[in-house]
Amino acid sequence: MHPASDRSYSRRDTVLFVACLALSVAALFSPEQWTVAFAGGLRATVLRPFVWLQERAEEGKTSRARLRAVTAERDSAAYVAQFLPSLTAENERLRHTLGLSRRLTAPYVPAEVLHQAQVTDARMLLLSVGRSSGVSTFDPIVAPEGLVGVVWSVGPATSVAMTWAHPEFRVSAFTENGSAYGIVAPSASATGSDAFLELRGVPYRDSVATGTVVLSSGLGGVYPKGIPIGTVVGVESEQAGWERVYRVRPAANHGSISHVLVLTAPPHGSVADAFPPDSAEPTPRLDSLPAPRVRPGPPSGRKAAAGSAPAASQTSPAATPSPAAIPAPTPVRIPAPAPPPPPKDSGR
Amino acid sequence: MTTRASRLQLSLIVVTLVLLHFYVRPRLFDARLSPDFLLFALVIFAMRSGPGTGAVAGFLVGLASDALTPARFGASALAHTVVGYAAAWGRAVFFADNLLVNAGFVVVALWLRDLLLLIASGSGERQVLLELGFYSPLQGVITAAAGIVVLYAFQEWFAVRLEA
Repeated sequence: MHPASDRSYSRRDTVLFVACLALSVAALFSPEQWTVAFAGGLRATVLRPFVWLQERAEEGKTSRARLRAVTAERDSAAYVAQFLPSLTAENERLRHTLGLSRRLTAPYVPAEVLHQAQVTDARMLLLSVGRSSGVSTFDPIVAPEGLVGVVWSVGPATSVAMTWAHPEFRVSAFTENGSAYGIVAPSASATGSDAFLELRGVPYRDSVATGTVVLSSGLGGVYPKGIPIGTVVGVESEQAGWERVYRVRPAANHGSISHVLVLTAPPHGSVADAFPPDSAEPTPRLDSLPAPRVRPGPPSGRKAAAGSAPAASQTSPAATPSPAAIPAPTPVRIPAPAPPPPPKDSGR
Repeated sequence: MTTRASRLQLSLIVVTLVLLHFYVRPRLFDARLSPDFLLFALVIFAMRSGPGTGAVAGFLVGLASDALTPARFGASALAHTVVGYAAAWGRAVFFADNLLVNAGFVVVALWLRDLLLLIASGSGERQVLLELGFYSPLQGVITAAAGIVVLYAFQEWFAVRLEA
């Protein structure tokens, strides 16, 4: 090896250093479409072997855990399959009863998360799928627990995801019981293990209870309706008479996930059925709240009218609820007028 | 030992470290606290090259990092360029043939890299404090520990002294 004393630092070193600095600064202030294309080109060419290598390592790391999960899923599926015919029949009957159309199934692409050893890893994730797998920009990314982020740029074999921790991340959201709408954004005052989100723009008159699950509303056209975003853990701030900002604990921890699903053709409908209630923290739903028992009889006045639907559902002898026994849908508040929405939820 | 043989040895070690970075590091624990073999490779390469070569190597490593984690394209290139240049100068200033001094270089380089990266990518004040006060020193120590193992394994090639 070269001993230090043998080297003579020359003007060439300074020139090289300044040139590299200048190129770095130029890259910093280059238009985003240039840098995105350049980064994608690097990943698709020079860095492709390294990305491939890291993919194999991630697969090796998680293969055992995936085997356990698949085994558990298989056992669960075998158990559920015993009741499948009756469940299917009941499901069809209820769908017809409620007048719902068949639920849409969202096509998705499973992807490995290739974590990097940098401080900015929490904001941007490198995924092992790209354009060749059908992934495109602004495809939502979900984990079993809930929303992770959105595809920010796509290369031939890899893509970059913007997570909910990115300062520019936004998603239109509503509470599970439909009582409040707002915009979920990362909190500017929390980082690292203390990272949380904020549900902003909730009218002052609409209070949201702690423990309420916040879902994507489907507004904006990027995220389908019904993806769990997080759970309300308290009030972050409030402007008296105007609005409240709620603190939301994220449902999905992007730092620990190794696999995600990229929804390649987000449906316009709800995907809430894809997320069982135990994927996020349980929260009281309106239709599961204990309803006061009302004796069957002719309704009289407002009190009887308000309690008629729950009473009918409780006193109905049939196991399958009749249309009259189904609680009336929760009235959904129309969100307050907001500034002109960007074309996508996550404005860049 | 000839210069050509030294360069070959250094190249072999750098390639090994790059492979460790992309194949072994993901199998270890949390990405934020796993050893940054790429930065370690940059430091030992820059310390055994000139400042100009170190800066160019840092720029290339930074470009790769920017392409893999494009929080703000160019930020990583800037940070690694400075680290590569400074590491080469640092060898001239300090007595860098000692194992612990090499490890110290790695800790300082990683902390400096994170500082520049956070500033250049426009992070919040709290995040900067948390990262620089907790995660960066921790990752620096972990990277240095991994580096000590590598330096110890190749002590003949690096000609490092093991005693303090």
